Amino acid sequence: MSTNVLLELEGLSKSFGGVVAVKDCSMTIREGTVVGLIGPNGAGKSSVVDLVSGFERPDSGSVKFDGRELVGRRPDQISRRGLIRTFQSPREWRDLSVIDNVRVGRSELQRETLWRSVFFARRLRREEAADTAELRELMAHYNLEGVRNRRAVALSGGQKRLLEFARIAAAKPRLTILDEPMGGVNPVLGERIGNAIRELKSAGSTVVVVEHNLPFIESTCDEVVVMDLGTVIAQGPFEELRDNKRVVDAYLGNDDE
Amino acid sequence: MLQYWTAILTEATIFSVLALGIDMIWGWSGSFDLSAYAYFALGVYMTIVMTVGKAKSPTEFILGWHLPYLLAVGIAVIVVVAFAAIIGAVALRNLRDIYFSITTLGAVWAIYYFVENYTPLFNGYNGVYGLFDPMGLGLSYNAYHYYFLGFCLVALFLAYLLVMRLSRSPYGRMVRAVRDDEFAAEVYGRNVFWAKYRTYLFGAGLAGLAGGLFAAYIGAFNSLDWAPTEIFVLYAAILVGGRGNPRGVILGSFIVYVGFVEMTRYIPSPAARPELGPALRQVMIGLLIILMLKFRPSGLIPERLGTDGTEPRRLWHRWPARGLAVASLAQDESMPSSTTIPESES
Repeated sequence: MSTNVLLELEGLSKSFGGVVAVKDCSMTIREGTVVGLIGPNGAGKSSVVDLVSGFERPDSGSVKFDGRELVGRRPDQISRRGLIRTFQSPREWRDLSVIDNVRVGRSELQRETLWRSVFFARRLRREEAADTAELRELMAHYNLEGVRNRRAVALSGGQKRLLEFARIAAAKPRLTILDEPMGGVNPVLGERIGNAIRELKSAGSTVVVVEHNLPFIESTCDEVVVMDLGTVIAQGPFEELRDNKRVVDAYLGNDDE
Repeated sequence: MLQYWTAILTEATIFSVLALGIDMIWGWSGSFDLSAYAYFALGVYMTIVMTVGKAKSPTEFILGWHLPYLLAVGIAVIVVVAFAAIIGAVALRNLRDIYFSITTLGAVWAIYYFVENYTPLFNGYNGVYGLFDPMGLGLSYNAYHYYFLGFCLVALFLAYLLVMRLSRSPYGRMVRAVRDDEFAAEVYGRNVFWAKYRTYLFGAGLAGLAGGLFAAYIGAFNSLDWAPTEIFVLYAAILVGGRGNPRGVILGSFIVYVGFVEMTRYIPSPAARPELGPALRQVMIGLLIILMLKFRPSGLIPERLGTDGTEPRRLWHRWPARGLAVASLAQDESMPSSTTIPESES
């Protein structure tokens, strides 16, 4: 495990019309780890994800990804530096086929220029055909082989979750932020998703998991960041935080799981 | 009769080019643009004022350059794209859905009234005229129109090849991904504005090209010859043929222009109510849109689904692939997925 800091949040604050969502929030995520981000509802977890990925702009503070400032960048610019996030519900491109969903996740952006599409159509087609074997392998790995040529909208909720992971695996990001990957997921699929997260890690991605399911966090994460009232109240391995009084008060104590 | 059919087919061909452009903007990138007819009209006006000579009093209009026809069309397309670049930059940057549509609707009416009332530009509501046989072929009136139909068909074919190439390229797929979910597209590094903007300009360029062709067909153009609301006929054509599928769009354009716009001319109007026929035509086009949305919402030739080439392609498929019914069924997670998946199509 490398000790390189990949993501560093410092003094991040954000209010929405007087409601403080994130307040002086600081944390560091080391490269190659799987970090759980937990906290009671309204703790500001999802807001932090939005701030880091550029979908919201912080009122103050900084977000450094691999030493470079992310605040003020657009979501697509941030993504091109190697950060992929998910949303609470799967967001597939509904009228694209399943395999095309993964292809867009993987596809190199310079192939998408207009002039290339017009003048180098044949070469592009060759390049894409060369990718197909790899994509089909991914499809098979995520149990999407049989539906790969269907419209993504026709998938079941669980298949959409798997498609999301296949797409991330194809994109090979440096940092993956998963916003509640276990929402509405049955136990069997939950195990599959736990494996998918471990696979992302072994493929070289650092992973941040926002989740309410604590047993799941315990089994998949190396480290946990606990948030409450918009700020980080503790960070460390899961076992240590079990006895941390602030954490217990804020979250675990009220949780019957 | 032959001349009549030549005229109808020429119009249908030209409007197919326009529909291909509008389909790129709406079908591919999901921007319900209402100003495309202004780009078409601008293409017509510009082509005419650049090919006929200087305006003679009391007529007044800009340019009057006597340029060769093809060069004039080329310049007209560039002017139209430049114009669309301004409107698109305003309307697409932060506005989506209905707000985008309202902005483009405002733009098209502003252009319409400006052109109608500001005479030094295109001679106001009297319009510009005098373009016949711009390619200098010296043909008779009839022969020219037969020849021009062929010319338009060639232009449509070239436009089709270009659009088809784009549609099947990684660019075409990316634009559709942006249409389906902008947030997800951003997460995967796509600049949503730039994707939509490029497509908008390309679609506007095709509208300008259609205008250039229409200029040589009609020869004269004024504000009675076009109205911003005529774009709905084109949207009907796209819906009938298949939104997002260039083949479908061309088929739909021919069906709507030949089948509806022209055939409904035969509806007899009582002498006392001469406006009944044209009014009925609008009603029938509205009815067509409703029926298509109800029974075959993805059109006669639906958008092509990008597959890995292992499944047979079919031109026609039984099930509406993008129907609301299918979408709601498929989103019901309690249903076993294998029974709700519609058949894949061409």
